[in-house]
Amino acid sequence: MIPVLLGVVAITFALAHANINLLISEYEGRIHTPQARAAVLATLHLNGPFIVQYLYYIGALFTGQWGFTAPLDPYGGGRSVLSVFEMRFPPTAELALVATFITIALSIPIGVLSAVRKDRPVDHATRLLALFFVSIPTFWFAYLVLLAVSPVSSLVPHFLRLNYPTGQINYAQYAFVGNTGQLQPWVLTGQYSGLTRPTGFLLVDTLLYGDIPAFLDGLKHLFYPAVVVGLTSFGYFVRFMRSSMLETLGQDYIRTAKSKGIPANYVIKKHARRNSFGPTTTIMGLFFAGLLGGVVVVEVIYGWPGMGTWLYEAAIYDDLTSIVVTTFIFAIVIVVANLIVDVLYAYLDPRVRLE
Amino acid sequence: MTSETKNIKSGGALSRSLRSRLESFKRTLYFLTRNPLAVFGLSVTIFYVLVAIFGPFFVPGNPNYMVQILQYKGKYIYNTPLPPSARFPFGTTFGGYDLFNGIVKGARTDVFMAAIIVFIGAIIGIILGSIAGYKGGIIDDVIMRTTDIFLSIPFLVLAIAMLAILGRTLEIMIFAFIIVWWPTYTRIIRGQVLTIRELKYVEASKAAGASSLRIILRHVIPNSVYPLFVQASLDFGNVILGFATLNWLGFGYSTQNLAEWGSIMSLATIQGTSAVFKYSWTLLVPGIVILIFVLSLNFLGDGLRDVLDPRLRR
Repeated sequence: MIPVLLGVVAITFALAHANINLLISEYEGRIHTPQARAAVLATLHLNGPFIVQYLYYIGALFTGQWGFTAPLDPYGGGRSVLSVFEMRFPPTAELALVATFITIALSIPIGVLSAVRKDRPVDHATRLLALFFVSIPTFWFAYLVLLAVSPVSSLVPHFLRLNYPTGQINYAQYAFVGNTGQLQPWVLTGQYSGLTRPTGFLLVDTLLYGDIPAFLDGLKHLFYPAVVVGLTSFGYFVRFMRSSMLETLGQDYIRTAKSKGIPANYVIKKHARRNSFGPTTTIMGLFFAGLLGGVVVVEVIYGWPGMGTWLYEAAIYDDLTSIVVTTFIFAIVIVVANLIVDVLYAYLDPRVRLE
Repeated sequence: MTSETKNIKSGGALSRSLRSRLESFKRTLYFLTRNPLAVFGLSVTIFYVLVAIFGPFFVPGNPNYMVQILQYKGKYIYNTPLPPSARFPFGTTFGGYDLFNGIVKGARTDVFMAAIIVFIGAIIGIILGSIAGYKGGIIDDVIMRTTDIFLSIPFLVLAIAMLAILGRTLEIMIFAFIIVWWPTYTRIIRGQVLTIRELKYVEASKAAGASSLRIILRHVIPNSVYPLFVQASLDFGNVILGFATLNWLGFGYSTQNLAEWGSIMSLATIQGTSAVFKYSWTLLVPGIVILIFVLSLNFLGDGLRDVLDPRLRR
């Protein structure tokens, strides 16, 4: 855990310092003079040896001094990256969690069914479906869903994050007026005019303020991105679930349980399925990395105001600080997810000890 | 005299080993042909590879770039793509590019890029994985922790970051892919080597005084490489998907009219989502081309795994 964390920090450090001119130009201002360059080099501690720079980097990273966005950033340059992160992280977390839930809720029953009915039509159909979702380009599938739905319903209410109180326009970020509790689009000066976002998670905040229509509207906007990400990750997961279940079904204790006369249904539910979760949890880290890759693409297509869109915009505007910070956050999320999965694995399988 | 007998002997051994390899290859092929999906996957893959090699010679224009047609039957088709017809089998896309022409040329770009990336990734994986698995100890720890680090950054995020920071060139793109892809191969080979190094024949050659290098090259790698083929054939598709996604997002190295499937699809969305609904073939056709190829690669990989994994064969 700690070595991996340090390694991730080292990779982001390497990314941040690989193109030193980009880093300097971000802080230099409009007029590029040797004096300005020297001043930037001095304030960012870019003069010393690499190991000193690395220590400064780690220190700044863990004390929350994440720097500022590039001057050319479309929402007004030079915002604190930490404040942008506070705006951008919750939507991605919502999307990723709901998509993970969809994937797991679909894969476990289908994978188990496919393994139990091995080499029957159900199994073949499931394997084909899983392969189809493994092979499909995520962005293409997102458009395919839009193409399929467009004749039936208007697509306008499905882009960005909300269009609830106005009903006319879609907008990305929301806020509540502090004293009346009314929902409205976020304005950049929000923090000075009494606007609040208690948790930043739209689905949580609307429930906190008891604004049910807004909650439903938020769900409506979440639906397509989450389904697209969930289905494209479903292929990997169901394949692994199936093979893990097949492996478990071949074990001796399953045969013993069957020969004792326990009903097949009970054996599958109580003996086989639970034991097949163990190997599946070990690939959760990899699975989650793939899912977050899909999240980036889908966010860009649906205008979801999350980390993926942030990374995309930052890459377009050469916003080095934002690129490095988003890379770091994505990596941290996966490291933490791996940790949670390890704890979960130890809980599911008492034979495994946490070191 | 002695050297001659030695030569004959080693030649005999070589041909014997070659013959047994050929026989096992024949057996693999036989089992593969029993699986209709794998046959489908193999034939479609061969078709795509043939198109990639020879296709660009049969369509007009520079083999690497799409052909732009600004005017057709007196009408400007820059912003109004033409639907599939006899003249344009796949239709045209925004910018007046002939889709059939672009897709055939794009096959070369994508297939060759994927081949290079998978090949280099596999070589790195074989070298590092066999060292880690065979040596064990601190070398193993260091290599495996390094793979953990690279596996904990989503591929697309790292690739976008690298391309944005280091520059959008072909070399950086290949580099970004390889950096992301080598850990999987390393882990597979290491897992294989860990089981093989305990086997009797490795022990025997160690007792006979063979060096580590010889054992790794002659005994460990040839016997641990099969799962890598499976992973490589599955990854070939993944590389193509990732490559297309990056180019579609606009972070690829591709210049405006370089023939590449992802860039061709990005042309379809260049005018916004509503234009995609109106001229849907511009997005559907290249997508189906990619889908069929990746799907057949996955069929092939699955079939190969079933054949090469002796537990499943029976």
